[in-house]
Amino acid sequence: MTTNGIIQILIYLAVLTVLAKPLGIYMTRVYAGERTLLSFILGPVERLFYKVGRVDPEKEMTWRQYGVAMLMFSLVSGIAVYAIQRLQFFLPLNPQQLAAPSEHSSFNTAVSFMTNTNWQGYGGETTLSYLSQMLGLTVQNFVSAAVGMALAIAFIRGIARFQTDKLGNFWADLVRGTLYILLPLSFLIAVLLVSQGVVQNFKAYDTANLTDTFVVQVDKKDDDGNVVTDEAGENVKEDKTIDTQTIAQGPAASQIAIKQLGTNGGGFFNVNSAHPLENPTPLSNFLEMLLILLIPVAFTYTLGRMVRSQGHGWAVYGAMMFLLVVGIATAYIAESRGNPLYPANVDQAVVGGNYEGKEVRLGMANSVLWATATSAASNGSVNSMHDSYTPIGGLVPMTNILLGEVIFGGVGAGMYGILVMIVLTVFIAGLMVGRTPEYLGKKIEAYDVKMAMLYVLIFPLSILGFTAVSVLAPDFGLTSLNNQGAHGLSEILYAFTSGTGNNGSAFAGLNANTYWYNTTIGLSMLIGRFLMIIPMLAIAGNLAQKKVVPATLGTFPVNTVLFSVLLVSIVLIVGALTFFPVLSLSPILEHFQMYAGQTF
Amino acid sequence: MKKAISIWDANIIGRAVADSFKKLNPLTMLKNPVMFVVEVGAAFLTVRMVMNLVMPGAAGNFPFELQITLWLWFTVLFANFAEAMAEGRGKAQADTLRRSRTETHAKLLRNGSPEVVSATELRLDDVVLVEAGDFIPGDGEVIEGVASVDESAITGESAPVIREAGGDRSAVTGGTRVLSDWIKVRITANPGETFIDRMIALVEGAARQRTPNEIALNILLVGLTIVFLLAVVTLQPFAIYSNAPQTLFVLISLLVCLIPTTIGALLSAIGIAGMDRLVQHNVLAMSGRAVEAAGDVNTLLLDKTGTITLGNRQATEFIPLTGIDEHHLADAAQLSSSRTRPRKAARSSFWRSSGTACEAGRSTNSRRMPRSYRSLPKRECPASTSTDARSGRERWTRSRNISVKAVLSLRRNCGKWLRRSRGQAARRLWSPTIKRPLA
Repeated sequence: MTTNGIIQILIYLAVLTVLAKPLGIYMTRVYAGERTLLSFILGPVERLFYKVGRVDPEKEMTWRQYGVAMLMFSLVSGIAVYAIQRLQFFLPLNPQQLAAPSEHSSFNTAVSFMTNTNWQGYGGETTLSYLSQMLGLTVQNFVSAAVGMALAIAFIRGIARFQTDKLGNFWADLVRGTLYILLPLSFLIAVLLVSQGVVQNFKAYDTANLTDTFVVQVDKKDDDGNVVTDEAGENVKEDKTIDTQTIAQGPAASQIAIKQLGTNGGGFFNVNSAHPLENPTPLSNFLEMLLILLIPVAFTYTLGRMVRSQGHGWAVYGAMMFLLVVGIATAYIAESRGNPLYPANVDQAVVGGNYEGKEVRLGMANSVLWATATSAASNGSVNSMHDSYTPIGGLVPMTNILLGEVIFGGVGAGMYGILVMIVLTVFIAGLMVGRTPEYLGKKIEAYDVKMAMLYVLIFPLSILGFTAVSVLAPDFGLTSLNNQGAHGLSEILYAFTSGTGNNGSAFAGLNANTYWYNTTIGLSMLIGRFLMIIPMLAIAGNLAQKKVVPATLGTFPVNTVLFSVLLVSIVLIVGALTFFPVLSLSPILEHFQMYAGQTF
Repeated sequence: MKKAISIWDANIIGRAVADSFKKLNPLTMLKNPVMFVVEVGAAFLTVRMVMNLVMPGAAGNFPFELQITLWLWFTVLFANFAEAMAEGRGKAQADTLRRSRTETHAKLLRNGSPEVVSATELRLDDVVLVEAGDFIPGDGEVIEGVASVDESAITGESAPVIREAGGDRSAVTGGTRVLSDWIKVRITANPGETFIDRMIALVEGAARQRTPNEIALNILLVGLTIVFLLAVVTLQPFAIYSNAPQTLFVLISLLVCLIPTTIGALLSAIGIAGMDRLVQHNVLAMSGRAVEAAGDVNTLLLDKTGTITLGNRQATEFIPLTGIDEHHLADAAQLSSSRTRPRKAARSSFWRSSGTACEAGRSTNSRRMPRSYRSLPKRECPASTSTDARSGRERWTRSRNISVKAVLSLRRNCGKWLRRSRGQAARRLWSPTIKRPLA
């Protein structure tokens, strides 16, 4: 740990906090349909959308209608992305003549981008054409984020309104979120990123001659392109001299801006934001990192404003920020301590800790900060490889996701996730004082608790269920592993955690582009998104119908530090207790094994 | 009922121990899913342990297995015991109530002459004679006579009410007391169906419903149980992967540690204890739901104050504002309250007496003045008796040589002072009588 690093982290958190208020206010106004700065340009566009779609933005929906509209929209989106990928070989903008990805890979990618997960079972520059990237993925980057934000707004309306069954109009929320919030911000950021050197073109890939050639061993192939094997069945290797490097091109800047802003995280290039053309300078790194948490943090302000209790918004912010800072600190300390298995003559203080899998351009502080932020925010973009972190350093991103993506969380998704947790917190706290619990004047009753528990239940069901099946299946579950033992378990667990949590970051080390993993991770993404949204919307609809009970001395205040502390403990109890048994067999076990000298 | 029954009573403990075994019946346990899971686990482990013992070749670690199994059974039994203890005190109280019922005697009228029998022997359509000082032996209808009845035990209303044959004032309740005169009552409820019997059943917890919050909490507990069940069930595959498969004994004990057993075990006991505590304060909650509703009350509106104040509210202290003489205040308060209805004038008794005695604080003769009002039966006290009140005030003012006009002006001024002040003093003084709060 260095003072420089700590200062950078503090500046980052301070800038985030300062931006929360203006953006939060702006978002509140946008979703209320009020006039904003951009109305004079975007207003006509917005009305055009309504006209073409024959939507009356004033006509509000019940929670069921809202949910159905959202599901229909997502279904159509998913099918469109799938179709574009499968047909990319004869669609335009494919200078590399890339063939269609496999069915299961296309399914996985379609689901992944539709659910705002952006898990990538494929390598961007080697699999997808520019058209697939732009029309399929970038569009989904926008709208899947807008869907998440719309849902969070619907939930907040459920809390703020009373004695109504209407939660707003899904189509209006979707259009407004995309047009007024995501689009202008992405445009601005894309221009800034281009200024830093991020590529934005439609060129075919460049080839550069290496000044420093090197030799690798590759599988020997016969004239028909088949791999040659010897008598023992092993592949025959041959030397190959590498003297050129392919430099990938493409419309990257526009996609990177939204992938960061919309907590999508699906990189344009395979190595995501560790790629020099995706993340060239310290400034671009700071900007991209800022975008990860920008909207989720602003949402806490929007929450306070919409429910007319700014203190509550800050209390929620406080609870989330606390968890985030603890995560950053843990990861930073663990990574800076480095690897105990380094030879004794390596001075770790000079080296700066465990640098395996980290981009030296960006440094230790920016790597752990990014890793923590991206996992907290269900973003999933990376600028360092989580697989190479120390066990405790790797535990941080995993725990962030396992807590339910509520440490700010995905755009919208984190907000409605934490709101469900708040419902539980208020319920438990209220029972402690022996009154029917109230949340901002709404009584929390059996139905709300039932739905909240359903929400909580689905998460471990998907993660633990799929992981358990995978580790018991040597044929299709374990063959994908690069590492064995505790680290292997971490890799599988992380994959399903990332999928169910709609995060999309990968621990790597696991070849997920197989029939089994593409399908099951795809399913876990669907479960983690839609099966959790439905009970969440049900709570929102139910809360909206309730009467407001006036606050009295006996009401548990939700704008205090005490509330934040309780909220943190509920999040930890629900998340940590559930997953502690499995975590103790993966990163925690690995940590002790590492100190005992065993690696994988 | 007045005397609190100690929970360490040998009878209660004995009965609770027996009950905690009776409650092991899975059908009873199913009502409490968390403890049901523990019981199933315990039963499963017992079978497994025995199998490990008797089956040849089965390698078991008997001392460990026995210990775990016993702990689990103990957990279940303790939960049952806690519930049985909570019920036990209620039952003991119900027994006391029941005893008092058997000790009540009734003058059963057969062939016109009264015959003393136990109240429990009364049947539907029996006719009993109740005289001054007697308890009415059961719920019934007055068929002859008029009497003033003290129903405070049932309604809390301290003033006696008139019960007479015919009309809508003919119903009487068992357990109430005739104060004067006599009535003949036709019994309208069989034993076991009377108001008192229902009260007993309630205290015993026989008719206990689960409250809405309890239901919600149960959902939460069941949800958490499922989550942890999932965590433990999937632990075995991970353990196998890590080459460290665990025995059932370890897994089930881990499960019991994780699921919310403490709150699951004590939930019903908490509910019962809540109602039980009210009973100790002589408050009968008709259901746990009512207790919970009481907890949610924000504002209490009372149509008559007598129900909760025994009808003799008194001011205990006068706190004059600066610049006001205490005598003056007492006078003003007295005058103000004398304009209210006669029944409420009871409350001004202290003020009147202290107003004359010029002494703020307790007064020995505070009850003297209003007796004429207080003892008036309800029916003789219609709401529109303002003329009485007026004449009472006139009498009072005349006796002090103050004109009514002066009194009214005094009262107005007094109101002004109070209105001007926003302090605690005004509120404390005025809250007993004021209809609308000033502040």
